[in-house]
Amino acid sequence: MMVWLVIVGMGAVLFFNRYVFLEPRLPVRLGRRAQEFLGFAVPGMLTAICGPIVFMPDHQLNLSIANPYLLAGLCTVGLMLLTRSVLSSVLVGMAVFYALRAWL
Amino acid sequence: MRGAVAVLPLSLACLPWGLLAGSMAVDAGLTPLQSQGLSTIVFAGASQLVAIGMLKGGAGALSILITTLLLTSQHLLYGMHMRPRVAPLKAPWRMGLGFLLTDELFALTSQQTPEHFQRWYALGAGLTFYLAWNLCTLAGIVLGKSIPGLQHLGLDFSIAATFIALITPVVRSVPAAVCVAVALVCSVLFSLWQLESALVLAGLSAMAAGYGCKRVMERGQ
Repeated sequence: MMVWLVIVGMGAVLFFNRYVFLEPRLPVRLGRRAQEFLGFAVPGMLTAICGPIVFMPDHQLNLSIANPYLLAGLCTVGLMLLTRSVLSSVLVGMAVFYALRAWL
Repeated sequence: MRGAVAVLPLSLACLPWGLLAGSMAVDAGLTPLQSQGLSTIVFAGASQLVAIGMLKGGAGALSILITTLLLTSQHLLYGMHMRPRVAPLKAPWRMGLGFLLTDELFALTSQQTPEHFQRWYALGAGLTFYLAWNLCTLAGIVLGKSIPGLQHLGLDFSIAATFIALITPVVRSVPAAVCVAVALVCSVLFSLWQLESALVLAGLSAMAAGYGCKRVMERGQ
């Protein structure tokens, strides 16, 4: 029962976060500066989510060359710069990751 | 349709991530229906995993909900950014697109200007991604019961690979590069210090840094 409560509650929280600023009756007008600030949401927020995954596997800072997350992450950046294709970069990046994990 | 095609690579990449969410939920003692319900009702990869971890650790409902609120507050920023595009639409469109507004959908559609916003494109992409995410979770639930230890296979790299592929093309200016650098340093530091809402704080600091950098450069010209 408590699990269902948590699930429905999380659903409500998520929908609130996603929807609240899409509601036209909410009296907020965004100036040019605010929009410029929000333009940094993709590089800012997504990078912040990636950071700990790549640099801190097992919740410890790991900057060594033997960190497959770090190496494969750099590989994915390189692939994306070269190919400009999301699909091939993600797939090859993951293949590199598993190869490195098996090998290191 | 074009939206559905554009989101396919991201849907493929969410396979390991969905497998992880499904198998971890079963592993934490949720029933298969509850595990699927998480993906169907909540539809948020990272915070689903965190919530599963907290349920397993015996955390209370309230603390899980507060963590969810903080962890997913980037969606507030997405909503604000999409406001000029989505707010003029009718209620079913707003609610539908609002429910589907994930990190991935935002990255795909945020570069369209309000005048050129294509709602059908966004809907196609969002629905396809929703379907893919739920199918992957289902696969994870089924596999999680038959293959123990699925969650130790480094599936979390898939989320990093996806986000890296989304971020890289956006970094075309000095302020954006500053923003990414600050985000990396702050997210790692704040996580090491075990701050409660490390990722949100890191993201906001990075956005402020990028914005500040842009302002300074404009003044210099």
